[in-house]
Amino acid sequence: MSSMLALRVVTYLVVGDGIAALYLAGLIGPLGVALVVAAILVSWALERARERGALRPAVAWGLVGTAAAAIAADLFYLAQSVLDGLVHLLLFLILVRLFMHRVLRDLRDAGFLSFFLLIAASSVTFSAGFLVVFVVFLVLATWMLMLHHVVAEAQKAGYASPESAGTHFGFRGPLMRVSLVAAAGTFAIAGSLFFVIPRVGQAALPFRGQLGRMVSGFSDKVELGSFGEIETDRTVVMRVYFSDEIADPQRLPNLRWRGIAFDRFNGTTWTAGQSRRSLLRPATTGNFHVSVAQGRRPLVRQEIFLEPIGTDIVFAAPRILRMELRGGTLSFDDMGSVSVPSAAARLHYTVDSELETPPPADVRVAGAGSGFPAAERLRYLQLPAMSPGIPRLARDVTAGSRDPYEAALKLTDYLSSRYKYTLGLKRQTQLEPLDEFLFVRRSGNCEYFAASLAVMLRSLGTPARVVGGFQRGEWNPYGRYFMVRLADAHSWVEAYFDGLGWVTLDPSPRAEAEAQAAQAGVLSLYLDAARMRWYRYVVNWSLTDQLLVAASVQRQAGDFHISLHWPRDWRARPWLLAAAAAAGLALAWLIWRSGLPGRTSRHAAPVPRFYERALRLLARRGLAPAPAETARQFCGRVGSAAPALAAPLGRLTGEYERARFGAAALTPAELGEVERWLVALEQS
Amino acid sequence: MVVALGVAAINTGNNLLYLLVSLVLGLIVVSGVLSEQTMRGLRLTGAVPEEIYAGRPALFGAGIANGKRWLTSYSVTLELLAPEARADTAAGAGRARFLYLPRLEAGADRLVTWEETLPRRGRHRLAGVRITTRFPFALFLKAGRPALDSEVIVYPAVKPVSSALLREIVGSGDAPTRRRGRGSDLYNLRGYRAGDDPRLIHWRSSAKTQTLTIRELEAETTEDTRIVLTGAASGDSALLEAGLSEAASVAVHLLRAGSGVELVGPDITVPLGRGRGQIRRVLTALALYQPGAGPVEVPEAEDVGDGDPRREGRALRELRIRIG
Repeated sequence: MSSMLALRVVTYLVVGDGIAALYLAGLIGPLGVALVVAAILVSWALERARERGALRPAVAWGLVGTAAAAIAADLFYLAQSVLDGLVHLLLFLILVRLFMHRVLRDLRDAGFLSFFLLIAASSVTFSAGFLVVFVVFLVLATWMLMLHHVVAEAQKAGYASPESAGTHFGFRGPLMRVSLVAAAGTFAIAGSLFFVIPRVGQAALPFRGQLGRMVSGFSDKVELGSFGEIETDRTVVMRVYFSDEIADPQRLPNLRWRGIAFDRFNGTTWTAGQSRRSLLRPATTGNFHVSVAQGRRPLVRQEIFLEPIGTDIVFAAPRILRMELRGGTLSFDDMGSVSVPSAAARLHYTVDSELETPPPADVRVAGAGSGFPAAERLRYLQLPAMSPGIPRLARDVTAGSRDPYEAALKLTDYLSSRYKYTLGLKRQTQLEPLDEFLFVRRSGNCEYFAASLAVMLRSLGTPARVVGGFQRGEWNPYGRYFMVRLADAHSWVEAYFDGLGWVTLDPSPRAEAEAQAAQAGVLSLYLDAARMRWYRYVVNWSLTDQLLVAASVQRQAGDFHISLHWPRDWRARPWLLAAAAAAGLALAWLIWRSGLPGRTSRHAAPVPRFYERALRLLARRGLAPAPAETARQFCGRVGSAAPALAAPLGRLTGEYERARFGAAALTPAELGEVERWLVALEQS
Repeated sequence: MVVALGVAAINTGNNLLYLLVSLVLGLIVVSGVLSEQTMRGLRLTGAVPEEIYAGRPALFGAGIANGKRWLTSYSVTLELLAPEARADTAAGAGRARFLYLPRLEAGADRLVTWEETLPRRGRHRLAGVRITTRFPFALFLKAGRPALDSEVIVYPAVKPVSSALLREIVGSGDAPTRRRGRGSDLYNLRGYRAGDDPRLIHWRSSAKTQTLTIRELEAETTEDTRIVLTGAASGDSALLEAGLSEAASVAVHLLRAGSGVELVGPDITVPLGRGRGQIRRVLTALALYQPGAGPVEVPEAEDVGDGDPRREGRALRELRIRIG
């Protein structure tokens, strides 16, 4: 492939990469991609026609004028946003360059314009796929720029192409290797600069954030069974890191991510209708103080990356004490739910929590919410009109209980052991949902379990509420974080007992059902860890991270200074020193053996061994070549001094010249002849 | 563009924009490193022709050697700076010419030649030639030091001597002198010396004496010539240049034929001599001659050899050429 053809191919690939970036960012859809790609292919096919002059410039420019008017209308009136209009304009300009391609500069301009496609995409996406697009662009653009340069320079010097100047620069040519090295170097330097360039604050969200789909179950209102839609969706929506103080986060018991609590039930729907919300403002440290530690339970710090799922709820391990989140205010209700002012594209926050530990089963409580004000008791004991079967069932199950807590544990155990967890939620009767669940179907998802427990507890006079959130998720050992999927959406119950406060009760036997579910494969864990690193260290790289890294480097530099006693360690391990020296010598020998291109081209091949042997034989007779004497001259001198040696030495000298200066490899037959002449030389 | 992109990145705090800024900066750094690598170890040596005649193309040459041990240099351009204006000035840049070497392997060297015509006689400072590269991305131009920017002497134009003038030269003078030259008759036999024309080896004598023997031929011209430049040489420069060109042509013709030539004129004197050295002396004197600028300094004449009329007291044939 010639340089010119390679340049065209690479330029088209660069443009294709830019279009992939737009698609990734959602700036053009599949139809748009198909149209643009088709146009690009047509421009490639038109190359020959253009060479014949089939497209008259006047016609072409007329088309350009019309299209320009259309672009202007698009930019100012039709496009969804200015960004969309600019993207359309960029695509138009690229296509113009490819269609009108007459000089080399047109190709280069098309490649440069593709870079602006990446800029446009970078403003609206944070997908890890952007890294792929970026790396591909880097490799292709490096190659394109180099090819463009060599072709342009050759043309400037009067050649049609570098091939005319005697060098092939197409694919697989030497320039390709240089280009790859340059791309690798650029990647390394760009990577270093990226982390070093000073930031002025926190990383920003993209210009036009992509909201995720609305997920039911995390709004102010949730119907029974709404989680059923998402409990089969294995999309990762949340990733949770624990601070280094927690050596083994996956062993933490009862870990779940609390979101919103509901206090009102109408028979089919739970709402947070009576919650009192208040605004939290950050303290002078920039943190939000949500509640006060009770001092009896373990404290953990979590760093959470929440994907856009269309909810303003903030999830964290209960009970939240303190939060660090970019933003002016937080909303906090009296049931412990925390939310942000608006459902942003992505949330990154740090939470300090006091982990809940379940009270011992034999603990005795005096009552359940007996100290509550009347309004609060009414609020958490509210029940809709329902069949008498449910309270009766509650009483039957808890018969003989010594206190409300024991009764609650009995109900929890009853539901988790007698009912089955299922995602098949098809209604079978006209009964109320809870009646059908408890008395007919006897299976359901976590919402049915939680709602049943809460209703039965309330029917027994125990204040209870339903809480929506996520289970702990899957531990990713490669990234050391919890991957929480939509399928981990979960409901449980919080009940109030005097002396214990709000206690979490989870009646759902979901763990057994999920034990049989397939875990993520190693590859997907790796990919998710890589994606997480992209979010963590690229998309969310901030001034705070830079300061942390700088402090770490400073600390490690100090440690290194302290550890400068290493020579003693080396002396303590002489074998290590000897091994290093041997490795160094071996490396030096290998380098020397491999030969230096500049040197080997200037030096002749080594003296063949048979000639060295002949010289040794002659040296025994006192005949040695003078320093400035050639082999042929030496042969003549030896022939004059000892005519008997002239014939064998003459033949050996001829073979010597052929082998050393003619770079000829002697055949086995010739080596046999050489051996005979050596013998003759010795015996003469 | 980098600055605008950087401002946009700082303004928005978008890390992907920072990534793209880093990409551009990385490309700039790599471009600098690669172009430096390309230029490092390159040696440029110039080759100037021994004789340059006004108005006649002269073959110049430049050797480029890659002294690096490992690394190939890519996309090296040899820039021939314009003679009248250096290429680093705006006026000269447009007239520079380029010779392109797509690659030069480690340890390799390449000889590049080109023709150049210098229009006028006299001293000329060559504009020179330099190695440049925009490798790898054409972002920056790196250039080495110019070579071939030395001063050269351009001889007057030498043309074939007209037949009328030839008759005038041959037909004048008195006593013929037998001497070495480039004729066809044998003048002498002597031992071979380095630089002798191998075609003149006398094989029979060489075989007989077991040493290489060479024939010396007798010059066909019969007399030595004094070229006298006449005229004031102050007004008509065309006449001056034509006269000097004619004098040079005659002198070269005679000297190549083995004759001795002496050049005299206002502010110019080249004593009688012959051979290649005398050609150089006469042409140099004619090249540097400026009316009214004082005597022209020419290299000291070598021994004119056998048959020197000054030694023998003979008169020289005289040829007058008008330069004004």
